[in-house]
Amino acid sequence: MRILTLVRQVPDAEETIRIREGKVDLASSKLVVDTMDEYGIEQALRFREQGLAEEVVAVGVGPTRMQDALRTALAMGADRAIHVQTEVMLDPIALSKVIADLARAEAADLIFSGGQQADWDSHALGAAVAERLNWPQATWTNALELNGSTLKGRHDTDEGSETFELPLPAVVTTQQGLNEPRYPTVPNIMRAKKKEIRAVPLEPSSATPLALVTGSEIQVKARRNKILDGKDAAAAGRQLVELLRNEARVIQ
Amino acid sequence: MSEQQTAMRIQGGSFLLEDAKPEDIFTLEDLSDTQQQIAQTTTEFAENEILPNIPRIESKDFAFTRALLHKAGELGLMSIDVPEQYGGLELDKVTSALVADKIAVCGSFSVAFSAHVGIGTLPLVWYGTEEQKQRYLPKLASGEWVASYALSEASSGSDAMNIRTQAVLSPDGRHYILNGEKMWISNAGMANLFTVFAKIDGEKFSAFLIEAGTPGLSVGAEEHKLGIRGSSTCPLVLSDCKVPVENLLGEAGKGHHIAFNTLNVGRYKLGSAAVGGAKIAFRNGVRYARERKAFGKPISSFGLVQQMIANSATGIFAGESAVYRVVGAIDASLAAMDKSAPNPSLETQKRIEEFAVECSILKVWCSEMLDRLVDDMLQVHGGYGYVEEFPAERSYRDSRINRIFEGTNEINRLIISGWMLKRAMQGRLALMPAIQRVMDEVMSGPVAREEQTGELAAARAMLASGKKLALFCAGVASQRFGTTLADEQEVMAALADILIEVLVLESCILRTEKMQGTRKLPVAMTRYYAAHAFGVMERAAETILSAAAEGDMLRTQMAVFRRLTKHDPENTVALGREIAAAMIDAGRYTMD
Ligand SMILES: Cc1cc2nc3c(=O)[nH]c(=O)nc-3n(C[C@H](O)[C@H](O)[C@H](O)COP(=O)(O)OP(=O)(O)OC[C@H]3O[C@@H](n4cnc5c(N)ncnc54)[C@H](O)[C@@H]3O)c2cc1C
Repeated sequence: MRILTLVRQVPDAEETIRIREGKVDLASSKLVVDTMDEYGIEQALRFREQGLAEEVVAVGVGPTRMQDALRTALAMGADRAIHVQTEVMLDPIALSKVIADLARAEAADLIFSGGQQADWDSHALGAAVAERLNWPQATWTNALELNGSTLKGRHDTDEGSETFELPLPAVVTTQQGLNEPRYPTVPNIMRAKKKEIRAVPLEPSSATPLALVTGSEIQVKARRNKILDGKDAAAAGRQLVELLRNEARVIQ
Repeated sequence: MSEQQTAMRIQGGSFLLEDAKPEDIFTLEDLSDTQQQIAQTTTEFAENEILPNIPRIESKDFAFTRALLHKAGELGLMSIDVPEQYGGLELDKVTSALVADKIAVCGSFSVAFSAHVGIGTLPLVWYGTEEQKQRYLPKLASGEWVASYALSEASSGSDAMNIRTQAVLSPDGRHYILNGEKMWISNAGMANLFTVFAKIDGEKFSAFLIEAGTPGLSVGAEEHKLGIRGSSTCPLVLSDCKVPVENLLGEAGKGHHIAFNTLNVGRYKLGSAAVGGAKIAFRNGVRYARERKAFGKPISSFGLVQQMIANSATGIFAGESAVYRVVGAIDASLAAMDKSAPNPSLETQKRIEEFAVECSILKVWCSEMLDRLVDDMLQVHGGYGYVEEFPAERSYRDSRINRIFEGTNEINRLIISGWMLKRAMQGRLALMPAIQRVMDEVMSGPVAREEQTGELAAARAMLASGKKLALFCAGVASQRFGTTLADEQEVMAALADILIEVLVLESCILRTEKMQGTRKLPVAMTRYYAAHAFGVMERAAETILSAAAEGDMLRTQMAVFRRLTKHDPENTVALGREIAAAMIDAGRYTMD
């Protein structure tokens, strides 16, 4: 069995984002693998380690810098990587075409993708890929178990959770709680240097984004800058509740 | 092995006499992908495993700290300096400096980690027999075992050769029997393996590998310390402790080589750990300054707060520049080594020892930079800096140890100027002819100022003058004091101060030049630092000259001093604001 796991690059949440010429200035940002995607990589590696999958292939679509993210996936343990090279910012629908084509070419049985992307916040990619392949999909999973070609799992609902079951091949989107992604260890980083990152240029005609971002703006949250003296914990607690209720109005 | 080697092979101490070119030095911008990834893994470990657990570490929950050390070992962070055949990875020294830098977010953990991978493990890597290495190194590299290094005693710290612990061969020749007491031993409360120094028959200075639990070895009570409270520091008592003869490390009577060579590595790593500690303290301070309001404005808008931020940021920049330049030069030297040589460990140490002055400079400069920085960052916090709820207080306490261990800063300053003069006497460093040239030049009338152009013209001019000032002062001091110069400690230390600033300033300039104008902030920080460094050099030179001469002689020399130190001032107020603005915007140390 072969698992494709999607890797996207997003600005580090720790960093301050800047806007330049109507766009998020990625050149000056530190980019990292989207945490949402890390859950997928981790799950794929666990399936392989349990002897349920033969190969984990990390897939990234984007400019040259995408290779950094793929190398991280390889250092976590993916067997090889495919880098679809493009300078064009693809919307999830256009991107889903690239992924679906690759899934067919690679004869993949399972595709993991983060439930949402930390940058675009669209929840469309997994669904769009499943639609193009005509595969079942499971979304927002936070527990997974594989028996032969049957995938069982769970995901959260508004008021609780739901368990489900579906046959492979399938598309699965992941989220926090699914697992605890590993760090690349130093020996694995050294091993990853020998692994393949296959670069394939994206044919401009094969995926054209229809939705274009025309401007971005960053909301700056004003902070209240209040520090409560914690010496008397009970008093501080009462004061905090009072502030949250009457000043910030976030609780009732 | 390191894949990227931009640094040229250079001779230790040569920074004073030769003008290196930007392409000759290694900088952080030259890190390979692999080095960056290892740095990233270390950062993630620090942010996710260390930072959230600081209260537990600080509560002296050593079982927890041990488990955390083990986790670091599982990630491979303890195997960087260990050869592959003993479970290590044997990577370059830049990588190991990077790990020390990134893991230094908590002083206590950082000390426990460095005591293990540095002084705890290296003696065995370098001097262990095949059997000793097979037995212990894999456990140390994986973090399953923790190591500790016991040299100091209550009556001999700096004066380490004077230890009183004794070793005597047992009548059957199978054991050494050790008796004595060690003091302030890091990791002692949780270590499995101790490298203990003792004198065989009261004479032959030697090192022994002693496993925890060996009868006769006991660990005393934890010290109550000013800082790094979550690190273990205890006395060790050896009372008729029976150590198998196979556990003698290296040759009997050659233990001082082990002790001293390990220190060189410890010193540059202390430098990189200080830079790492500075970054986290800085981040906390800058973020606080953005949030805290006074007089209706964030305090980060006040010039004097910005000045503290600019001083601190520049300290980090300069520290990074010097540390990675030196460690990169060490790597270049090691990479050029013939690995099939009969004794590669010995050759490795020799090549590192070549940089003894540079290692001491990093130790002294970075530990003092960190101390100034944590002081400024505490000040930025005002009253909140003084209470335990904020990390500024802990950083302030944790920093202080760095000026004491791995050789006090006084001892290291004496090493810096002493080593340079000794090398010169041995004819291994062309210091004397250089001094002569500068003396001839300055005594024969006005000194032609070298024409410098570009954004860093003023900084370059200050560096050139600083080098001449060092040579001039060394010349005057040797003429006056001759062979007793080493006894004039204040003069020796002042000379060391000029050498230190020359190396650090030159590293900033070369690093910035290597970026070829792609970034503005490094230019500002280099100019800002140059102004500060030059002030330090001027004061040190005055100390030397006024101690070495009087009357007319002193007046002549001060005239030379003024010619040498003539320079155009930098607008440090404007530069400081520019630097601070970028840091405040980023909320951390940045070069963008
Ligand atoms: C937290 C902590 C952890 C430590 N960990 C270890 C460890 O793991 N292993 C280990 O072996 N040791 C360790 N040490 C010991 C440490 O290395 C020594 O404390 C240090 O070397 C200084 O020695 P000392 O305390 O005897 O001071 P002294 O040598 O008595 O020095 C006192 C003062 O006199 C100055 N001085 C001494 N000699 C001279 C001189 N010739 N010229 C000018 N000034 C001089 C010193 O600079 C200092 O200011 C640790 C110490 C501490 C506090």
